[in-house]
Amino acid sequence: MTSEKAQAGPNAAPRRRRRIGDLFVRWSFMAPSIVLLIALLAYPIFYTIDISFSRFDIATFGAGEWVGWENYREVMSDYRFWDSLEVTLIYLVIALPLQVVLGFGIAFLINAEWKGRGLVRALFIIPMVVAPVVAGGMWRMILDPLWGIMNYWLGFIGIGPLDWFGDPTLAMASIIIIDTWRWTPFIVLIATAALLALPKDVFEAARIDGANWWSTLWSVAVPLLVPVIAATFVIRWLGAVKMFDIVLAATYGGPGKATNVVNLFIYEEAFRSLRFAESAAMAVIVLILTMVLTGLFLRGSRKLEELF
Amino acid sequence: MGTVNIRDARKSYGSVEVLHGVSIDIEDGEFVALVGPSGCGKSTLLRMIAGLEDITGGEIHIGDRVVNDVAPKDRDIAMVFQNYALYPHKNVRENMGFALRQRRVPRADIEQRVTEAARILGLEHLLDRKPRQLSGGQRQRVAMGRAIVRDPNVFLFDEPLSNLDAKLRVQMRSEIKELHQRLKTTTIYVTHDQIEAMTLADRVVVLNGGVIEQEGPPLELYDNPASLFVAAFIGSPPMNFLEGDLVDNTCLVLSDGTRLELPAGDPKGRSRITVGVRPEHFELSENGWPATVSVVEPTGSETQITARLAGNVVRVLVRGRTAVRPGETIHLSAAPDLIHIFDAAPVPEVAEMEDVA
Repeated sequence: MTSEKAQAGPNAAPRRRRRIGDLFVRWSFMAPSIVLLIALLAYPIFYTIDISFSRFDIATFGAGEWVGWENYREVMSDYRFWDSLEVTLIYLVIALPLQVVLGFGIAFLINAEWKGRGLVRALFIIPMVVAPVVAGGMWRMILDPLWGIMNYWLGFIGIGPLDWFGDPTLAMASIIIIDTWRWTPFIVLIATAALLALPKDVFEAARIDGANWWSTLWSVAVPLLVPVIAATFVIRWLGAVKMFDIVLAATYGGPGKATNVVNLFIYEEAFRSLRFAESAAMAVIVLILTMVLTGLFLRGSRKLEELF
Repeated sequence: MGTVNIRDARKSYGSVEVLHGVSIDIEDGEFVALVGPSGCGKSTLLRMIAGLEDITGGEIHIGDRVVNDVAPKDRDIAMVFQNYALYPHKNVRENMGFALRQRRVPRADIEQRVTEAARILGLEHLLDRKPRQLSGGQRQRVAMGRAIVRDPNVFLFDEPLSNLDAKLRVQMRSEIKELHQRLKTTTIYVTHDQIEAMTLADRVVVLNGGVIEQEGPPLELYDNPASLFVAAFIGSPPMNFLEGDLVDNTCLVLSDGTRLELPAGDPKGRSRITVGVRPEHFELSENGWPATVSVVEPTGSETQITARLAGNVVRVLVRGRTAVRPGETIHLSAAPDLIHIFDAAPVPEVAEMEDVA
């Protein structure tokens, strides 16, 4: 250190030049990704915020006259917006816990070594790689009230025929079933990895201590898994608030507005009714709601981790 | 009754047999150490006794019943794991009482037994802590407490000290010994550290490659190793070995032609042998095997001399201090009954085992 200081006087100028050169090199390496990020992420967000405070100008396809909070006031007083938020909320409140519980449950059940486990795991990936619109269309056929195989099977146990997409409650159930079919395997994979990473000896200690299956699950596995469960929940939450494609393909928000989730509503308002400014305002509201709730969930999960 | 009888126990994983028929009889209250290098099957055998591994062949008796098909919880054993295996989200009290709660022991009884175990182990002030708030030694004590609370017929220890630092290991070693003297519960203790095995156990079983090399009281193994392996494994610093041809019954000819006189011949009359002498059994004398000193390491109570004898590194341990200097030639001799003779074979590399953590 001392020798460096002594040399600082005569060498200061070249060193500064070197530092600037170094900075230049670093930033030039980062530049392409920064440009790409601004173009693909930052610009659309700012564009949306911009038009949400303006009258939309169809001619320039951009922000026209500045109108302040007017668009926000309008959508906040629109009962259809609140209805679509409520639909989204119902979907989230049922689908998320269902998928997380189901995912971890299945993972716990198939955790033991058995033949064909690899094959089943591979099969589990299929729902995730199927395009959402294809999944929606496929399930439309499965759940079709007349020719659908679901009603055919349910007929054997004396249920039905059910009008899956005609009844408001059943339509929501259909959406949740399709979404669960699509996303539970993802959670199973995460949960399986998490289970494999758990310390084996703790479970062995539990076996010797005489814990049965149930108390092994509740006293050992679940507490050890809490951090992963919380993280999975947040990941799944981030995916689920974007719910759009399955509804679009399966019910298109119907019957009536029973499955009209907020993203579909915003999409409709923008591209059917051409109310771009108002839908931009709604999009911003949803974005902020999502960010706040995500922040809360992250904090909650951290608290939960400390508890265990 | 805390007896454990193992009859021809075998273990295979698929077509690979890792334990080739091991029989051990352990008396009530005995402290037996299973020792051997990694992969010798000692942990596998312990886990078979615990019921964590299936028994491929043979029988294991605990008390007067065969436990081959008995669930771990019904074998009346308690196990202490290498990584402690404490329940991370339970505090010390709950960790120690968990087994009893599973047996629906009344709450007051659990409390009393946990308190008693905590008192024995000096854990009273830590009862409300979580494992992660404890040091390694404290966690190990909790793991032992969890075993004690159950008052089992047999304690099983699976390398319980190998995650602790050297100083703590020595301290915990004497605590385990004290605990055993106090509770007199049958104990089976797995370790790769021969010093742990020697200092703790009433009887040491040396395993190698899935078979028993030798079993007996620690000093019996030290005095009369049955094989080169046991000789190399037991004792620290390890025994010195010299391989050569025996001619005229008392003259050992090393590979480079050096001739060493043996005080006594080989009773079995072999011609190609390996001679073993423990470092502490060498004496510096007027006329013995000549060796050139390379390093002298005094520790106060004793001095370790490393010397070269016809290309072989030889360690010598002498009491107190010595005036020997590097470069000097010393003459080594040993009493006839302290010179071990084995069939000639490469010396197993087990000397460093004790350093493996």
